[in-house]
Amino acid sequence: MRLLAVGLMLILVRPLWGQDSVIVIDPDARPSDSFVRGGPPPEVVAELISFYNDSSTTRMQGDVTLPAGTRFEGKLALYRGSLRVAGRVAGSIAVANGTLYLHPGAAVDGDILVVGGRLLRSEQVEHRGTERVYWDAAPVLRGSDGLLALRERRRPLGEIATARTTFQAGRVRTTLSLATGGTYNRIEGLPILFGPLFEFRPMAGTYARIDLRGIVRTAGESDLRSDFGYVARADLRFAGRTEFGIGGRLYSEVEPIEDQPLTAGESGWSAFLLQRDYRDYYEREGVSGLAYVRPTSALRVELSLSRDAERSVRATDPWSLLRNSDRWRRNPLIDDGHFFVTGLQAEFDTRNDTERPTTGWLIRSRFEHITSDDIAPVALPLVVRPTPPTGGGYATDRISLDVRRYSRLTPALRVNGRLRADGWIAGDRLPIQRRLSLGGPDLMPGFDFRAFTCAPRGFTDPSNPALCDRMIATQLEVRTRLSLNLGYRWPNRDANRPGRFIGIEEADLVFFSDAGKAWLAGSGAGQVPVNRLPVLREWSLDMGVGLDAGEIAAYLAKSVSSGEPVKLIVRLQRRF
Amino acid sequence: MALQQAGLLRILWWAGRALVLTSALAVTRVDRVAAQGGDVRLLVRLTTDSTPNGSRAPLVRSENMLASNSRWLDALRSGLPVRLHYRVEVWRSRGAWFDTFERQAEWDVVVRHEPLLDQYTLLTFVGAARQERRYATLDALGAALAFGYQVNVRPVESGRYYYAGSLQVTTLSDSDLDELERFLAGDLSEAEEQGENFGDALGRGATRFLLRLAGLPSLRLEARSPHFTVR
Repeated sequence: MRLLAVGLMLILVRPLWGQDSVIVIDPDARPSDSFVRGGPPPEVVAELISFYNDSSTTRMQGDVTLPAGTRFEGKLALYRGSLRVAGRVAGSIAVANGTLYLHPGAAVDGDILVVGGRLLRSEQVEHRGTERVYWDAAPVLRGSDGLLALRERRRPLGEIATARTTFQAGRVRTTLSLATGGTYNRIEGLPILFGPLFEFRPMAGTYARIDLRGIVRTAGESDLRSDFGYVARADLRFAGRTEFGIGGRLYSEVEPIEDQPLTAGESGWSAFLLQRDYRDYYEREGVSGLAYVRPTSALRVELSLSRDAERSVRATDPWSLLRNSDRWRRNPLIDDGHFFVTGLQAEFDTRNDTERPTTGWLIRSRFEHITSDDIAPVALPLVVRPTPPTGGGYATDRISLDVRRYSRLTPALRVNGRLRADGWIAGDRLPIQRRLSLGGPDLMPGFDFRAFTCAPRGFTDPSNPALCDRMIATQLEVRTRLSLNLGYRWPNRDANRPGRFIGIEEADLVFFSDAGKAWLAGSGAGQVPVNRLPVLREWSLDMGVGLDAGEIAAYLAKSVSSGEPVKLIVRLQRRF
Repeated sequence: MALQQAGLLRILWWAGRALVLTSALAVTRVDRVAAQGGDVRLLVRLTTDSTPNGSRAPLVRSENMLASNSRWLDALRSGLPVRLHYRVEVWRSRGAWFDTFERQAEWDVVVRHEPLLDQYTLLTFVGAARQERRYATLDALGAALAFGYQVNVRPVESGRYYYAGSLQVTTLSDSDLDELERFLAGDLSEAEEQGENFGDALGRGATRFLLRLAGLPSLRLEARSPHFTVR
């Protein structure tokens, strides 16, 4: 939705009486963040109040009918309700927040003013005078003295804050917030973030922000990490024909090693409910800076530098709803040390919706050059990697690529494809916290979690760490919307109306297939030469079918290239 | 090796069957959706032919949203905001082959009943632009909801085209409404950068799911315009 909608502009055509009968939407108009509050003109409202409160006006409220053959002399006003006129009114009429009906034979010798309602007139109506109608509600209240008064407007809906408090001091807007950290995991439990956000717009198109957050970890003490962390961030953005900006961060936080096989939110729910944490973590503390440019709304290029201390953290025993007595999977040790990372990232995003896209491209690529002078590597079998240089001079390069294409063959039939590749490309081999694996609910759902870790035979580690140098995976899915009516419809006492439906009415029917391979690069047995990709027959394949109801989805997946049983996967968001 | 080849053949065979089944379901889909609409209707018409090349713009309109037996009226009176999400897609017809998607435009309308004032607030979101209007009577609100939307997405290249319109009507909880307003007001990028809030995101998803399970109304309508030719 983000893409085109940003460029839309609302143009209201006002042909008659200030009403809108056709709204013109122009997707090619310049983006605007205008907020238009409609309503009758203030002078019209003042005139209405004056007319109603005039001592010579006959005031009424509710539904009133002036039948045919009757005659009313003088000023007539109605507040809330409907005024049905079939007789003659020798005077002006004003209706506030109601509807005026002029039935056949009605005659009005005076002006008509309707604010906050409609005028519905039949044929054979006689009217001498002006006629003004405003559909928008009149901001008026009727007091205990029977007179109308101007009602002060309530705060607009957009200003109603729920989980945070915002206040303005001069040109700086401050927001105090309390929020969760985005996941629930076996390291931190539920991280809670709190602190102020300062925003400043010195001029049009310029935006500055300082965001200070403290982190409290609820999982209890650990000898390898603190119960507290922090993230302090400063950003400066310049928006114009080309948007660009700079930023810096100071942080002490727990980071996941891989961003799959589940998203942070889903992994959090899995940990919280089932005591199954699908991610591994490490702690990092340091500083980073970035500069970015956005030459078009779809393209963003970013250069970043960071220097941080990365260290292992130990799993604790946070509470979970089910299986609380089970033991959590161990968190793997990482290669501790100080790392200097230079990153270059490009993102091209033409998707029409970030959560449920139906058309467009997402291409995300990142290159990292990583160095360290004090890496303290974990001992790994030599077939996995040679021991990195510990006395200084450690350097490695890594590249990642995520290409997604969403397309619609017909209005009802969609085909989506994804290519994901990640891994080492040059220099010393990757540290553990940047190594890879495959298998699990996201990329290869037909296979067990961490089915492909590249661990050599005989190597046992209860944390089941990801040890591969490289991985590549493709996903293809076909979707169509189905009317499911999976549930029960309550009978309705009113025979003309369908009863309430309990269940899921519609869902996407999804057919999918995935293929992928994670491997060690080298010339040893079972390894793939450094300068080539695995041939297709070496890839693992799965396929499956599922129903995606939007907020929840269930899939059945079966590996084709091995004999693993059919797997049932429940997801809380789209596969990709 | 032979096992792999046999597996690959099995995949192709199943994929072919799946595609045929999916296509068949897709073909029958539009009729089912139209039938589901009940009293509410979505119309996608063409503006008059006023350009030299014959290109025409879509005119989208919903009807009977607040008919006397409308479940949406019940929802509004129960305090639930109602969201109307419109989408218009431009499709190029290619005869016997798959049609080509060209572009699309989207906008939102949120209706809410203000019980203390007994008024209806109608918020129209088009990108970052917002418009708020209030109506004191259902009659005026119904008329406002029946406004036509003329969307300037006329194709310029020669070919045979049509417009596919969809309208998704859902009820929103208060938190959904806040989230929607923040999102449409442009706060999304900040939210993305700061990371998804576990409680918020999943609570919202769970709320939506429960709302659907609880039988609160949700409706999706689709309609197509007639074909037209750009010379």
